[in-house]
Amino acid sequence: MTDQSPQGPAMTSGADPATFTIIRNSLLKATEEMKIVLAKTAFSPVLKVAGDYSCGIFDARGRMVAQGPDLPVHLGSMPVAVMAVARAFDGDIHDGDIFIHNDPYQGGTHLPDVNVVTPAFHDGRLLGFACLRAHWPDIGGDTPGSYGTVTSIFGEGLRLPPVRLYSKGQPQRDIHAIITANVRTPDERMGDLNAQVAANARACTRLSALAGRYGTELLVAVMEDILDYSEQLMRMRLADLPDGDAVFEDWLDGDGILENGETTDATIPIRMRLQKSGPEIRVDFDGSSPAVAGPINAPLAVTASGVYCALKMIIDPDDLIPPNSGAWRAITIDAPEDSVVNARYPSPVVYANTEMSHRVCDMVFGAAAAFWPGNVMACSQGTSGVVTFGGSDPRNAHGYVSYEVVKGGMGARPGKDGITAICAGIANTMNTPVEIVELSFPLRVERYEIVDDSGGPGQFRGGLGVRRSWRVLDGRAEATVCFERTISPPFGVCGGDDAAPAQVRVIDPEGRETPLNSKQSVTLEPGWVVDVIAPGGGGYGPVAERDPAAIRRDLREDYISDESARAAYGITPDTR
Amino acid sequence: MWRIGVDIGGTFTDVAVIDEGGSAIGLAKTATTQDDFSRGVMEGLRDALRDQQVVPSEVSLLSHATTVVTNALLEEKGARAALVTTRGFRDVLELRRSARADLYDLFQDPPSVLIPRHRRLEVNERISARGEVVTALDSADAERIIEQLRAMDVEAVAITLLFSFLNDSHERALGNMIRAALPHLKVYLSCDILPEVQEFERTSTTAVCAYVGPLLHSYLHGLQEATQALGLPKLRVMGSAGGVVDVPEALRMPAAIVESGPAAGVMAARLMGRQTGRDTLLSFDMGGTTAKACLILDGKVETTAEYEVGGSGNQNRWLHGTGHAIRVPVVDLAEVSAGGGSIAWLDRAGALQVGPHSAGATPGPACYGRGGDQPTVTDANLVLGYLDAASLLGGQMDIDKEASIRALTDRIATPLGQTPREAAAAILRIVNHSMAEALRIVSVERGHDPRQFGLIAFGGAGPLHAAALAEELDMPEVIIPPVPGGFSALGLVGSDVRRDYAQTLYADLATLDPSEAEAIWQEMETDGRAMLEQTGIDTSRWSVARSAGLRYSRQAYELTVPYDGTEATRDGLDALARAFHDVHRQTYGHHNPDEPVHLMTLRLTVSGALPPLELRQDGTTGGNSLKGRRTVWFERTGEVDCAIHDRARMQPDETLTGPAVIESYDSTIVVPPGWIARNDDRGCICMERRT
Repeated sequence: MTDQSPQGPAMTSGADPATFTIIRNSLLKATEEMKIVLAKTAFSPVLKVAGDYSCGIFDARGRMVAQGPDLPVHLGSMPVAVMAVARAFDGDIHDGDIFIHNDPYQGGTHLPDVNVVTPAFHDGRLLGFACLRAHWPDIGGDTPGSYGTVTSIFGEGLRLPPVRLYSKGQPQRDIHAIITANVRTPDERMGDLNAQVAANARACTRLSALAGRYGTELLVAVMEDILDYSEQLMRMRLADLPDGDAVFEDWLDGDGILENGETTDATIPIRMRLQKSGPEIRVDFDGSSPAVAGPINAPLAVTASGVYCALKMIIDPDDLIPPNSGAWRAITIDAPEDSVVNARYPSPVVYANTEMSHRVCDMVFGAAAAFWPGNVMACSQGTSGVVTFGGSDPRNAHGYVSYEVVKGGMGARPGKDGITAICAGIANTMNTPVEIVELSFPLRVERYEIVDDSGGPGQFRGGLGVRRSWRVLDGRAEATVCFERTISPPFGVCGGDDAAPAQVRVIDPEGRETPLNSKQSVTLEPGWVVDVIAPGGGGYGPVAERDPAAIRRDLREDYISDESARAAYGITPDTR
Repeated sequence: MWRIGVDIGGTFTDVAVIDEGGSAIGLAKTATTQDDFSRGVMEGLRDALRDQQVVPSEVSLLSHATTVVTNALLEEKGARAALVTTRGFRDVLELRRSARADLYDLFQDPPSVLIPRHRRLEVNERISARGEVVTALDSADAERIIEQLRAMDVEAVAITLLFSFLNDSHERALGNMIRAALPHLKVYLSCDILPEVQEFERTSTTAVCAYVGPLLHSYLHGLQEATQALGLPKLRVMGSAGGVVDVPEALRMPAAIVESGPAAGVMAARLMGRQTGRDTLLSFDMGGTTAKACLILDGKVETTAEYEVGGSGNQNRWLHGTGHAIRVPVVDLAEVSAGGGSIAWLDRAGALQVGPHSAGATPGPACYGRGGDQPTVTDANLVLGYLDAASLLGGQMDIDKEASIRALTDRIATPLGQTPREAAAAILRIVNHSMAEALRIVSVERGHDPRQFGLIAFGGAGPLHAAALAEELDMPEVIIPPVPGGFSALGLVGSDVRRDYAQTLYADLATLDPSEAEAIWQEMETDGRAMLEQTGIDTSRWSVARSAGLRYSRQAYELTVPYDGTEATRDGLDALARAFHDVHRQTYGHHNPDEPVHLMTLRLTVSGALPPLELRQDGTTGGNSLKGRRTVWFERTGEVDCAIHDRARMQPDETLTGPAVIESYDSTIVVPPGWIARNDDRGCICMERRT
């Protein structure tokens, strides 16, 4: 505690210490209350069961003051999305208005992530906003699930710039009509949208109550202080860590588009330079690929989210720094315009949110390993492992869209193996229970299991990957996969080995396998199977230094095979 | 006749002895014996019987809340168990739900896997989502599994096959084969434990039963023998849902008794509320490390089936995956990491924080003088005068107020440029705000206005903070029951015998054939009546309550809605749908009457009420309750010269005007300025705000 700031937080509000903490806690609790309303009332499985959404409280300028315990991938982009609303309707925001938008070029991530933004008022004064960003399983476009391999934003579905969904409490039926006309399963989408609106209403009520209790001026001033407070904590912690400068290069499997007579998808290089000096850090993507034809171009806000997430895990694993807009002031990100890490209109973007964000996050760990080896983990699964199915359900003749993500292993850490089958890095969604999948859709899950030998060997082993297979039961289905790390395996760090790459294939009713590209849509007849392996994490430290007892445990549990024990660890299995 | 409740806590084992006629409540506290809980229980029982001069033959009921199950899970001391699943799914227990518990902690660990991979076996079989057999159970495969189980030398086995809640024939056949071949094994089938959809939660719940079953078996049988040898009646065990069960029922369903202590507290609050004419209350239970809130609405306590045991428990509602999921009804508590031991600290930017770390019992607050040098909530209470060196723990302990002042000064006040008193006041504001959050969660968040509720506060520290919490939420009334420090034990003896049933029935409510629901409810009811028959409770005191877990057809979470009627009919099911729309609007602020209502789970609770019990602490030791004065600080008034009263000497109907402090051996009640406290005819202190 000796390095504590002697004067307390740099406060301009003049709030006493207890009031500051109480308001800060209250704002965080408001985001949790949003979360409960959304989770319990949304209609689509990806929201209600998997939890693919984020809740935040923003000041009147659109800066994020509190983010719920949600998805790190939204850290960087939600403020930009709310700022876009604040800017578009500056001076024309009224109590009872509710805004909606999903424009990736205005702080959105990809079209399926739909932001509902509600201004909070007290006595006629705008206090700030609540924003709930939720992943809709479908936002239109050519492919069910809106995850097609397209070459322009116009192929990806309905793009809404910031518009009013409600005006002074009145629903704007024309906007609702446009939405329902453009998405598959519109009833379900309206259920999700109602849940988003209701969740925001809870947060706004709470903001207004806080203003009533502590005064509007004080509340607004404390919101400003909270941003400064996060910045101060971040800079103090950065200053403690050694300086360094490192470059890390990696490449993506491809964008899903075969161009100019290619027979395999061209890989896409990414280059990152990480420079840390005193209380500041700079991340430069100079040397990364220009924008590509397929939808793996990341809006800068998505790239930033990957950076912020990794740096927060490195710098603040105890989560003492509130992740808000202030926390990121010490971080500068430079990315070439119109590149895969800084997309421009009209580049398609849908894969980038789930794939490029993982990539950037993992690469920050890879770069930081050069000078902060005790604070990093090896590369994790590195892909969201998206698998969607769409078609008509013969049981009720209704159209259906199933959207799932498959979680592999976490990278190994200093002193610990990686965790098996868990969301790592930028994501934190839940799997969809097998029984819920089968009750909801004409699919049968035939296996969901840990894959042995899928973790990168090392002194500490990467978490293991996961295999999941779905058989199409009745009716033709269109399946889409979006994977990474099928040819660029999750890397090890500090002398640890890479993990085995991801695998994606279809199997016909006779059992014949056909590999798929990492990103591909296929039409499947009944009896066909989609079979995927989400990869494990990379290893940490030299394999020779692994504790023999840990190797024996891995053999006993079939986490590694006898062959792997010999080949990777140089141990003969009969010593187990 | 007398009833005895035994509640094992982390530090103390409380034994409450209650006169059924309602004249006396005795409480004995002994140290909890972690190595063998039954030793502390037996010591406490002997002490309590002796102190109250009760002979075992005069005891009509012996009821117990135990932490054996939770401890076995936390300390990983459960049985050597195996798991059998459908082929392709042996890893369901380890795959969990794939979300990580902590977003940013690079070094986090997942919870332990209760059954390791090498003891997880797969069998060839498959049931479809329509309950049809896709692949018949392979009996040769089953034989192979039996040989493997034999070779593994396990004590218990959990069997969870996909969709067994729709068609249990494979699970039962396999279970029968294993029981026949390996009769010494304890076999738990998921279709018995939790016939509900979602394979991970069902497997986890069944695995928890297999993991703790053998241990619980030897513990409860040992304790039952010892208590019966003493001449006490048959042992009953408190369940997490707020009812008591007998020993065989507890062993059938070990996962159902994990939260028995906290459930007992809520049931005591409900009983006291009922007896004093208050059926709409928020209960608040605060101890050294956690505070728990619960809603009592129209005399009813809600239960929830979303629960994890171990890990960070339910204190973090959103970061699931720190503990072991169990899907059985648990009294629906909101919990926060805040208690007397919560440590106040300044973060690196100098912002004041309270908790979540606790000084616990060792080293404890700075004032305990056991080496704790960090200021806690208890230290703040001491410095502000709410607690007194002589009143803490009945004066049995040396309290060093100077140590509190020192810790507050060095760690908080000096860096912030405050006086120790200002720092203490700030700590209490923050901790009261976070505890009020627990009360908000169970009221405001579910659509109830706390201003309509009374607050019943107990636990060692509850009465200290209750009035401040009521002010925070604008609640009109606070009730402090007799023996607040051992109040939970009273709930053990005032609860009904109860068993909860649940069965997934996945159907559109509008088109469901009522006879299908009736058949399932009937089966539950028949089983429940047979269970009550065993208890010897007179049939006039039996009750059966039907309810259903419903949701809009595309939602993921159910709301439980009572079914009004004793038989499933079309009209009844339509009324159920209407009730669901209302409950949805009440709970979440919106509803959609045009959307189809989907039935997920049929539920039924049977209960047998014990003869009525009067909770009353009679008698006063006489004399004037005023025992002294000291300087106490209140936010509204600053320091005041405050009257200190002895609760034991308060007369019935005696009324005190705040500011005042009322002390008893197990807790201290703070009556702030603006409040009036009255001792009612049962020994409850009822506080109201003066208008």
